[in-house]
Amino acid sequence: MAVFGTALNGAGAVLLTHAVYSTHEHTATFASTPLPLDISLELLVSILLLSLGIVVSFAPLKPIQYAQWAGQLSREGRHGEGQYTREGEEMLSEGDPYAFLGLDGGIGGKGEGRRGFWDVKGKRREYEDWVRQGGKQ
Amino acid sequence: MAASALNEERQLAINPIVASSVQHNTQVISNIRNLTASLFGVAAGTLGLESYAGFIFYILASLVVSVLLFALKTDGKPGAYFYRPLGDLWLGDVFGGLSGFVLTWTLFYGLVRA
Repeated sequence: MAVFGTALNGAGAVLLTHAVYSTHEHTATFASTPLPLDISLELLVSILLLSLGIVVSFAPLKPIQYAQWAGQLSREGRHGEGQYTREGEEMLSEGDPYAFLGLDGGIGGKGEGRRGFWDVKGKRREYEDWVRQGGKQ
Repeated sequence: MAASALNEERQLAINPIVASSVQHNTQVISNIRNLTASLFGVAAGTLGLESYAGFIFYILASLVVSVLLFALKTDGKPGAYFYRPLGDLWLGDVFGGLSGFVLTWTLFYGLVRA
């Protein structure tokens, strides 16, 4: 999409420059005559191309509904956005703000992700069994 | 009035809104508006529009940009990206770009036509 937007912007800029230069030449040679139709059309087409290119090449919008936004985050994960800092590090998109809760540990795995719901007695029993076996695996 | 405000608050409690996304979207729309407004000024000045014709040209061109935003940026679902689609997408920052428009309009009118 970025290449498409840049191509549109480039074509629009070339047409716009040509149209403005032609208008300047026209008014310098035949002052007080109306602008020829082809120059006007070129100008309008260049403006249309440029605004299309600007709209296409800008960053995509983000959903404002929390559910959709969080769904997009968990579907796409953290990924590079193609922008780099001056030190050469890639800038990442925003990630899941609740990742520190560790909920993902309970979704795919067999453990409980939420620390507050951790099975303390079960873990203690596991540890006692391990001690009784003499500390071997 | 009070009942509708309460309803809205309840609606926001059920479906919360992400402030950082709202900010990002407003920023994108404002940048696009400002850039395109300057461009429309170049076109209006080069076409030699004067007085009301220039402002009508600006409003029409802004409408075209709104349609482009609606079709390409929001995929036809402005409600998913803006809390108030009419005010934020269709009319958002149209008058904020007016100063940039008048600036380039007069500049290019002076450079090219006068």
